[in-house]
Formats: sequence, C-alpha cells, structure tokens
Amino acid sequence: MKTIITIAICLFTFTGVAQNQYEKGMQKAFELWQENKPLEAANLFERIGNAESDKWLPYYYASQIYILQSFNEKDETALKAKLETALNFLNDAKTNSDNNPYVMTLEALYYTAWIAYDGQKYGMKYAGKVTQLYEKAIAISPENPIFILAKAEWEIGSAKYFGQPLDPYCKDIQRAIDLFATFEPEGQFYPSYGAERAPEVLEMYCK
Amino acid sequence: MFQHYQPYLFFLIAVLFSFTSSAQHTVSGVVTQANGNPIMGANVYLEGTYDGATTTEDGTFSFETSEEGTYTLVISFISFEPYRKVGLISEMKGLTIILKEDLNTLDTVVLSAGTFEASDNSKVSVLKPLDVVTTASALGDFVGALQTLPGTTTVAEDGRLFVRGGDAGETQVFIDGIRVFTPYTPTTNNIPSRGRYSPFLFDGITFSTGGYSAEYGQALSSVLLLNTVDEPDQEKTDISIMTVGAGLGNTQIWGDTSLSINASYINLAPYVAAFPDRNDWEKPFEAFAGEGVFRKKMKNGMLKWYAAFDATRFALTQEDINLSEGLYFKLNNNNLYTNASYEGELSDTWNLLAGGSYTYAINDIKVMDGDVTNTNHSAHMKVKLKKRFNSRVKLYLGGEQFLSDFEEQFQDPNFQASYGYQNDISALFAETDLTFSRKFAVKLGLRSEYSPLFDQATVSPRASLAYKTSKNGQISVAYGDFYQQPNQDILKFEQDLEARKTQHYILNYQYVADNRIFRAELYRKDYANLVTFSSEMPTLGDTFENGGDGYAQGLDLFWRDNKSIKNFDYWISYSYLDSERKYRNYPTAARPPFANEHNLSVVGKYWIDDWRSQVGFSYQYGSGRNYTNPNESGFLQQQTKSYNNISLNWAYLLSQQKILYFSVQNALGFRNVNGYQYANTPNPAGTFDRRTLRPAADQFFFVGFFWTISDDKRDNQLDNL
Repeated sequence: MKTIITIAICLFTFTGVAQNQYEKGMQKAFELWQENKPLEAANLFERIGNAESDKWLPYYYASQIYILQSFNEKDETALKAKLETALNFLNDAKTNSDNNPYVMTLEALYYTAWIAYDGQKYGMKYAGKVTQLYEKAIAISPENPIFILAKAEWEIGSAKYFGQPLDPYCKDIQRAIDLFATFEPEGQFYPSYGAERAPEVLEMYCK
Repeated sequence: MFQHYQPYLFFLIAVLFSFTSSAQHTVSGVVTQANGNPIMGANVYLEGTYDGATTTEDGTFSFETSEEGTYTLVISFISFEPYRKVGLISEMKGLTIILKEDLNTLDTVVLSAGTFEASDNSKVSVLKPLDVVTTASALGDFVGALQTLPGTTTVAEDGRLFVRGGDAGETQVFIDGIRVFTPYTPTTNNIPSRGRYSPFLFDGITFSTGGYSAEYGQALSSVLLLNTVDEPDQEKTDISIMTVGAGLGNTQIWGDTSLSINASYINLAPYVAAFPDRNDWEKPFEAFAGEGVFRKKMKNGMLKWYAAFDATRFALTQEDINLSEGLYFKLNNNNLYTNASYEGELSDTWNLLAGGSYTYAINDIKVMDGDVTNTNHSAHMKVKLKKRFNSRVKLYLGGEQFLSDFEEQFQDPNFQASYGYQNDISALFAETDLTFSRKFAVKLGLRSEYSPLFDQATVSPRASLAYKTSKNGQISVAYGDFYQQPNQDILKFEQDLEARKTQHYILNYQYVADNRIFRAELYRKDYANLVTFSSEMPTLGDTFENGGDGYAQGLDLFWRDNKSIKNFDYWISYSYLDSERKYRNYPTAARPPFANEHNLSVVGKYWIDDWRSQVGFSYQYGSGRNYTNPNESGFLQQQTKSYNNISLNWAYLLSQQKILYFSVQNALGFRNVNGYQYANTPNPAGTFDRRTLRPAADQFFFVGFFWTISDDKRDNQLDNL
C-alpha cells in the first residue's frame, strides 16, 4: 500500500497573482498536508467544502486524506470510523459534482482500502466494483493518464498472480507515461499525481 | 501645526484600530467527551465560512473571524455526533462543548443474544457470506452452513434446521422480511432436504436461535432472515457444470434497474448409476429450479421483486422391516414462491417497509398404493414503519396478515378422504430500541396475534438488553414469549386447537477483537400447549389435544479465529443440550430423537497462495440419539452410537473467472447410524427385529466447474460454491 501513499503525496505549487478566498484556503490546506498535518488539512478542506457548495475538490481531498490514513490502520474500529468519514466526504463530493471521473477513481480507492484491510472478507465483494469504477472513469475521460494508470496498476497485480500475459497492461502503463508527458491538470487544484509513479510501475512489472 | 495635532492623530488611529479589531472576534473554547476527557483534532468552524480551527491536545480551540452577527458553530469529529450551536459570534467565547458519541460506530454495544449474522456490514457477524459456500460440509446449501453454528443439532437424515431442542417446524424463514412458507426441497425418509433457494442471491443472513424481535412470529424456536442483494455490481453470466447437474445465471443492469436470473437443473441419475446407494431408485432425484430478482432503485427507496419456481420429481423403493417388497414412494412437487417488497424513506426520520409473498405448492405423492395430492396457497402481507427520533431512540410499528389454504386428498383401494383447513392470522407489533450509551442498550417489544381459526388472541412480550463490560466484551440478556400454531401435518386433521407456546431466557457473553470472536450463551426454553395424539404419526380421526409440554436448556459455545495462523480461518462450535418433552404419542416426558446431548463442529479453511487454492475441512460430531427398543421396557430409552463426519473440499482458481471445485462428504467413511426401525410384530422367538437406519450413501463426491463471464474478467463464482 506504500505505492498508494506515495501517489498521494502530491505537491501543489500554486502561484497565483490575485488569490481569492477559495484559492488561499485550498493552498493553505495543501500546505498543512505537506507539513504532515493531515488532520488539520482535512478539517480545512471540510470547512472549505462546507462554505463552497458548488466545489467538489475540497471534499475530494478531505475524503482522500481519510482513505489514505486508513491504509495504515490496524485497529478495526478506527479503520471503520475513518472509512465511514471518508465515505461521507466522498458522497458530498458526488453531490457537488455528479458523474465526475476523479470522484469515481477515489471511490475505487475507497473500496481498495477495504480490500487491503481484509482481502478474504472484502475482496470478492468489492473487486468487481473497483474495476467497474475505473472503467466508468475511463469511459468518461479516455485520455486521462491518471485513470489509465490506476486501472492498469489495479489489474496487473492479479494478472501476474494468475500467470496471465501482462502485455495489455504494460501497454496501458506505457500509454499513461506518454500521456503524462503532455498532461495538464484540467483545472486549478485538480489531481495531477502519477507522472513519477508510472515509470516505477512499468519497471516493477514489465521489465 | 502638525506637532499640535499629533496627539489627536494618534487618538484617531487608535480609535480606528480599536474599531477594526472590534470587528475581529475571537471564538474560543474547549471540546470534551462526556467524561471530561479533551477531544483533540475536532473541526470547529462557523458554518458557511472558512473560519475555524482544529482542537489541540487539551481540547481547546481559538480562532479569529471577521464575521458579525448570528452564525452556526459546527463541531465535527470522527466517531462523534456533529454538534451545532446557533448564536451571536461575539458571545462565542470560553465555550465548553461536550460531544456525544456517535452510536453507529463499531464499538457500540449490540443486542446479540441469540443472534448470528452472516454479512459484511454487521457488527456481530460470525459468518461471512462466502462461508455459506466454502464450508466443506455445506455443499452450497445455506442451511448446511448454519448447521455448523452452535444451537443446532445433528439430524443428518433430515437436512433441516433443528434448533435448541426444537423440531424443524419451529424455525421460520424470511426473505427480505417476508415469510417463506416452503423453505426446503421436498424429500422422503432418510434423504436430507436442502434449502430451496440459491445462496448467491443473498448477501445477508441472520440466524437467530432464540429471543428474536417482535417483528417475527409463528416460530417457537428460531428465525432465519435472508436478504437479497440490493445492487449487483456488474452484468455477468455464470455457468456451472457439476457431476449432479448444471446451472446458468445472468445479471443485467439498466441504470437503477437490474435483473438477475438463475436456473439450475439437478439430476442424480448418472451419479446414482456410478455410485449406487442403499435406495432402489425408480426415478432418481431430478429438480429444475428457476429464480429471479428484479430490483429498482427509486429516489428514496428500493423495490425488489423475487420469484422462484421449482419442480422436483423422484421415485424409489426403500427397505422397510415390515414390508418385504420395500416401501415405494414417488413424489412430484411444484412450488412457486414470489415476494415483493419496498423499503424506503418517507421523511428524514420515517422509514417504510411494505411487502407481500405468495406461495403455491402442489404435491403429488404416491406411497405404496395410496395416493396423496395436496395444494397449498399461502400469502403474507406486511407493513413496517420505523421512526428514528435520534441515534438513541428508534421505534418500529407494524402489522401483518397471513393467509393459508391447504387441501389434501387421500385415496387408496379401500379408503378415500379429503380434508384441509383455512388459516388466517393477523398480527400487530411494536418495538423500541433505546441506546443509552455506547455501553448500554435495550430493546423492548410487544407482539399480538389473532387467529380466527382458533378464535384465539395471544400477546407476546419481548425484551433484550446489552451491556458492554470491557472494550471488546459484552453481556446480553433476552426474554421472550413465542407462539406458533400447530404444523400443517396436524392442522390438516384437526383445527380445534390452540397455539403452542415457548418462553426463552437467554444469557449471552460475547468477545470480539481483532478477527477473533468468542461467544458463550446459556439458555432455557419452556414449552407449553404442545400437541398430543395417540398414533405414531398424526392420522385422520385421531384425538388431538394441546396437552403437551417440555423444556430445553443448555450452553452454546462459539470460537472463530482467522488471525492466529496466516491464511487459516477456522471456527469451533459446541452445544450442550438438555431437553425433554411430552408431546405426540409420548407416554412420558423424554428426550426426542432429534435433540441429542452434545454437538460439535470444527470448520477450517486454508488459502494456499502458491496453488491459488482454498482447501477446507469440516468435522461434525453428534452424540448418540435416542430411540425406543420395544424388546425392553421404557420409551426412547436407548441411544445410537455417536455421529462423525469429516468433509473436505478444494477450490482451485484456474483463472480469475474459472474455478474447479472438488468436495467429498464423510471422507473417512464413518458408518453413521441415524436410528433403528423395529418390526411391528415380534418374530417367532418373541423379539422385535430391527433394521439400522443408515444414510443412503456413506460418502458423497462432488466435482464442479464454475465459469463467470463478465466485462471486467475479475468476478468469479467463489460465492456460489
């Protein structure tokens, strides 16, 4: 799960000239996150989300923080509490932005957290959902390397386990690398992680 | 001149500054738990603004705001209920805020007395849905998996659930809260029946061995609640090819609507030809079953429609001590069950469940030269309202109506008769859940039923209470009165009777931590108004009375651990049962044959990663069962030898979507004895001869291939096995 946590450490160097309150708030939250104060960051994201009823990104990041935190959690009660909180924020993000492929990808990560916690119990139940969410996100945004990478990485592990050919997934990863080269985040504060991760994944499975 | 004005200027600046700082308020205070412990990390903010803070280690917070006037202060923190306070910002200083625990979290006490759950989202889940199908002895039958739980007794030749000294008719089955009238496949002597419905349509199973909610009635001992899947993940086709038949399933999804259908055909002819058993089959067991679930997600609720049809046929001659040519039995059964339910929100706090079911069953039975034909029309309608006052107080109100119309014709060369009954029952129930804290919860309920057939009204109080004794341990107690009308086999001959009654007393201790569960339950069950008659089996013209009574008491232990050994998951169930009853034609109170004293189940599953395989075993032990030896004085005075069975299974994942499955029942070939049949008349030497009742086959082998075709190439049928 280290891999997913590394994905999350996303650096936002935003240098705006005329910053409005939203931009200042978001930037402050990212700073807190970078200063290794994820709880404060999540709290600020929650406050921004609460004040900006048309923005989905604050809730997206609040949810992401709790999901990522849950990956290290061994205590079941704490894990469930964190994931429940994450799900609430995820639903808030959904409410503010329907049919959003980034939110779908995060939802896939949410289910992956359950599978990571107890694969026997949640693997069968959620594996199909995870794949389906990635597929939906790619259907909406077929050229987005973030989604292509996430899906390929999710699938390549089990393909390797079953001794199936990895070529199709390696091709997808290579395609993500190519797309990352020219990839521009779709908007301010949009997720943009993965460019460094993609070659590592390629190295791990395809070389 | 400037010098002259300088003091004024300073004054002016000072005024201006103080003016701006008066527009900047400080909101401050401390956030604690009810016990005074500070809460660190809570989010404190003014609703709709960016102004807020995170509480520090000592629970304090302080932040500046330039807002003015009346705002809502919100405090949110994981595992606590959000707090909201409306007020003037200028007055939000030095606040002390106590957050209430969120009672929906995992560590809240649960009313666990008597209840076993198989689901993913429950706090007291002892089985996972997959267990139903990966338990070696279960052979894909959810009833078989439940028989590995404590509180059930081993009655291997029957296959149904016998709970805590109760017979199989004392357990009722519900799908999505609606009653199932014919839950088991029809069968005959010494051939175990199975649950009629495929486990793969259900994602939650709750098995209560006593003390259940007032929502459920007409069950003396136990209820089994099955919930169909709400939302299938994806469209897929499932194909299964087995040594005993084949199955085909398909799921289609259109937005908020989905349909799953499942058809199976079982024919034991090839198997019986390869491995002949002790029966002389004229027509080996053949069954066709089709079922479907239609689901529609609405804005505020969910509509489900479930329908199942199955047809079973077989004919055989069984050995019989009194009949040199054997006992001929032939059965044709057609069974239709359909169930529709709607569950949804009426408002923020009101929730509605409404549904109904209809069962139409026709049996055409031939026993030697007698013909029995019966039809059963039954229906159940139910409405349940739930009011949530807050997370601490919930109220449930409901009503239901049962309708049954049963008719039977009997015909043989010398005799002909036609009989039956119509039985309608109306019921009302009310129940409240009171959760006082994470440590203490109470459920109180009342159920009342009226039967026009008996002109009898009954009132049953139910209560349970749970208290958390430590972080992972809790104690619960439960009490309840339960009524159930006599079963169909009696009611069809005699309707001038009363409902049978039980009273349950349960004391339960449960310890759940870190993928380990320990449960211990002590219980006592008193029976009253059991039906007595004079012949061995209920017969037309006999005298039936509510003159019987009895008791059952015992201890159930359960331990499950999937933590201690990597990739190994196991559970152990042990039940001690002490039970006697006087009913049927019993001359004295006695322990019935189905209520043996000791039962033990050990189930283990080991995942071998390198082999992509799950291997499983289950061991079942049942101490000897009572039978009557007419060569000696007394009634049910002797015991069979004990029952032992070790079953093994192996599921091999060929790929993500192809599974090969092997299983063998009674791998070690224990020669089990279910009982004895004695001759009706003594032999010339003056003793009654007997025949040992043994299972039709000592061992059973099963090989299956399961293939799932779906877009994502990931799903498989492990949960169907």
